[in-house]
Amino acid sequence: MNVLETVAKAAPENSFVLLQIGHRRIALSAAQVAELAPPVRLHTFPHTAPMLAGVIVRRGRVVPVIDTQPVLGSKSPISHRFYLVVRRNVGQESELGAIPVNGECELVNGEMQPPAMDRPPYVAGTIRVDDDSLDVLNLDAFSVTASPEPRA
Amino acid sequence: MTVTTQSANEARLASGIRSGRRRRPETVVLFLVANQMFALAADSVHEIRSTDSIAGAANEIENPELPKVRHTLDRGGRTYYVVNAGMHFGLPVTRPALVMILRQFRAALLVDRIDRMAEIPNLSPLPLAFTGDERRWYRGLAYLDDSIIPVVQPTGLLTPQEFQRLDRARKEALARQAAAVGAQP
Repeated sequence: MNVLETVAKAAPENSFVLLQIGHRRIALSAAQVAELAPPVRLHTFPHTAPMLAGVIVRRGRVVPVIDTQPVLGSKSPISHRFYLVVRRNVGQESELGAIPVNGECELVNGEMQPPAMDRPPYVAGTIRVDDDSLDVLNLDAFSVTASPEPRA
Repeated sequence: MTVTTQSANEARLASGIRSGRRRRPETVVLFLVANQMFALAADSVHEIRSTDSIAGAANEIENPELPKVRHTLDRGGRTYYVVNAGMHFGLPVTRPALVMILRQFRAALLVDRIDRMAEIPNLSPLPLAFTGDERRWYRGLAYLDDSIIPVVQPTGLLTPQEFQRLDRARKEALARQAAAVGAQP
């Protein structure tokens, strides 16, 4: 069990992990975090599911990798890519998913505010960190947008 | 695939039916399409031929709604619909050199090349996050030689509706052919 996993397990409900995805700072509920995985090989194969980059193998499990780029518009540099493994809901069930991150994660406490009306579905709310207002990701909404073309 | 392998496959298939349960490990044929590797259960493959060798047995079929099927193939009294694997999986266009004729299913698959046969220890289910056509395309994922390889679901190559459409198109083509022959002096 790594430090982040230990901290996340003990985290109260108003704890959030701050991530750097590309040039964007994003928050994620600490309760969803399973671990920060090293930059293991990304396996790709043809599929039509929206916002999935492929899969990684972690602890003997096949974990889908969420492609945040179409939604967040920024990409983590490949050379510094780690995977934040999180639990998320897919329909009525839940499974692990991985988000490519640059490895810098910080645990903060804060009160999540509801999102503004014009915010997209992938924003669950916002939290204030220092002087910034950061979006809290709703990972369950990351499969809603349709992708027209098959991808490999 | 050799005759020997075919017989072995038949025996394996028969034992699978008798036992009524999924066998593990499983022998698969690894093949490539546009540099992407796929696996197909060896049990599902009746024979593998070069596209050149079966050219005489292939007939063109007109069905603009299903561009991935452009030929039928007559083998052993059955007609198979030839599915271009690259088009089926949305991969870049290649020049397939082999056709894998399936067993228990009236379809054949055009592929670039066969890599080898291998034994996969087990099959991981496709993660739930994959919600698109891939749920129909694949039986699951195999982990082999540090790679994840999708294991193709033969029944996902053509839906029952697509079979109906193709059967209709084929019947019409045969009727046209017969009419053309009858009209000749």
